[in-house]
Amino acid sequence: MSGTYRKVDRNVTLTLWERLYLPEVIRGVTITTRHFFVNFLSVTKAYFGGKPSDRKIMTIYYPDEKPVLPEAYRGKPVLVLGSDGRGKCVACGLCEVACPPKCISIVGGMREDGTRRPVTYKLNGAVCIFCGLCEEACPEEAIVMSDRYEGLSEYDRKLMVYDKEALLVPEEKLGKRLDYIRRRMFGKWNY
Amino acid sequence: MGNVIMADLARIPELLPSIIEMVAKVVFIFTMNMGVFAPLLGWVERKQSALMQDRIGANRADILGITAFGLLHTLTDAIKLLTKEDFIPRGADKPLHYLAPFIAVVPALIAFAVIPFGGQYVLWGHKTNLVIADLDVGILFVFAVASISTYGSVIAGWASNNNWSLLGGIRVGAQMLSYEVAMGLTLVGVFMVYGSLRMTDIGVAQENFFHWGIFLQPLGFILFITCALAENKRTPFDIPEAEAELVAGYFTEYSGLKFAMFWMAEFLEMVTISGVLVALFFGGWQIPFVTHEGLVKFFGFLGSNFAQVAVMVVHVTVFWVKVLGWIFLLMLIRWTLPRFRYDQVMELGWKIILPLALVNIFITGAVMLMVM
Repeated sequence: MSGTYRKVDRNVTLTLWERLYLPEVIRGVTITTRHFFVNFLSVTKAYFGGKPSDRKIMTIYYPDEKPVLPEAYRGKPVLVLGSDGRGKCVACGLCEVACPPKCISIVGGMREDGTRRPVTYKLNGAVCIFCGLCEEACPEEAIVMSDRYEGLSEYDRKLMVYDKEALLVPEEKLGKRLDYIRRRMFGKWNY
Repeated sequence: MGNVIMADLARIPELLPSIIEMVAKVVFIFTMNMGVFAPLLGWVERKQSALMQDRIGANRADILGITAFGLLHTLTDAIKLLTKEDFIPRGADKPLHYLAPFIAVVPALIAFAVIPFGGQYVLWGHKTNLVIADLDVGILFVFAVASISTYGSVIAGWASNNNWSLLGGIRVGAQMLSYEVAMGLTLVGVFMVYGSLRMTDIGVAQENFFHWGIFLQPLGFILFITCALAENKRTPFDIPEAEAELVAGYFTEYSGLKFAMFWMAEFLEMVTISGVLVALFFGGWQIPFVTHEGLVKFFGFLGSNFAQVAVMVVHVTVFWVKVLGWIFLLMLIRWTLPRFRYDQVMELGWKIILPLALVNIFITGAVMLMVM
């Protein structure tokens, strides 16, 4: 069949060295070989040395190994339970206002000694977008983002509405996050 | 008639060592190919490609929590392929559809018959030659048999009643035809240098490290390995099964054990190619700078017979280590380079490798004339 055909200009100009093909093949094979041996050695080291982080491969065997989270990670928002057994929340309602999807609803009240407390504190986990604005708005460091990311989904939406009891977490367990917030509040980026 | 049989039977005792030797060699090669390489190369391929691409690779199959680095996936693969439905498409040519996988896998197995995996040894007065069939035509037998395996692919493509399969089959035909010509010519230089087609002769001639094929025929080696890759139908020459264009090429319509046979044929071909490469260009069973006599002397303290056995074991091990090294390299190339286009494959075969092979023959002849 005779016909006309158009030569497509692919905007690729190869040098003679590249068009020889063989040197470039050797270059490519060298790269893959290097990757192979680096990974092979690191995987072997991780297997016999026992530390998964020795592996130079990014993959994490998720249920068996847990990822190391950065301290800025925002998981489930929780209320801080002070060491005196009281919640730190004073029911000021700033988080309620700051929350973009409006997932927090608070009814405030008084304790017998005159300090303020939330009577009910509801956080709808199905609506929450994990933005962390409640944490930033809170003047009392009462609501913080924990590093919990597992077990947050349910088969029933009603189960995802957390009340005060489901949200309260002792202060000691959140020490790392509280430190991080304090550093961020008075750190060099906050001016 | 009876007398002839009786006479033959009477010769059994004197032939017994030869028979034992032959059976041992066949069993050894068969186990190496079907028992070790065919199942394990699947695992090697998965893990090697994974590590090359910064992945971990298959490792989830386990028995009581033992995963054995993903080795058990070979077992699960076998179970899966054995229990899978053997599907034959409507309108397919049934007998040919059945026949094709056998034609593909058997030549891959028997091509190894002429490759020497060890030298010659005298064991208890019996001369042993570690090659199943020491044919005068040697490497030509490999070519002949490899050509037969091409029929397996072509017939598979034809018999499947599937457009993609047919296209794959046609591509196999074209590719094999082109590269078999070039492949034969690339090896002419080797035959000229060693003056023999017999693989054992070539192996013995490579006892001196600087007489290895790679030093005497560097251009021939590069051309041969290119042709060998093309004959193996793996990337970068996998246009017959180019999965982006042809689903799976000529074995699109195969499932279960018949699919496994094509799979096995591919791996066995790889072993055979590595064997040929080692035998022709990398000194076969020879260790660099170590002569046969030197090794026998080294093991002399074992007594003459056991010294020969020890040397045999060392040589066979060296041969298989070299083969493994080549398999590693072939897989490396397979997972490094992208696939050629069809016209590029043809161009490489006819316009580049064929003329270069002829040039190689010419240069080899000229140099030999000058040296001698």
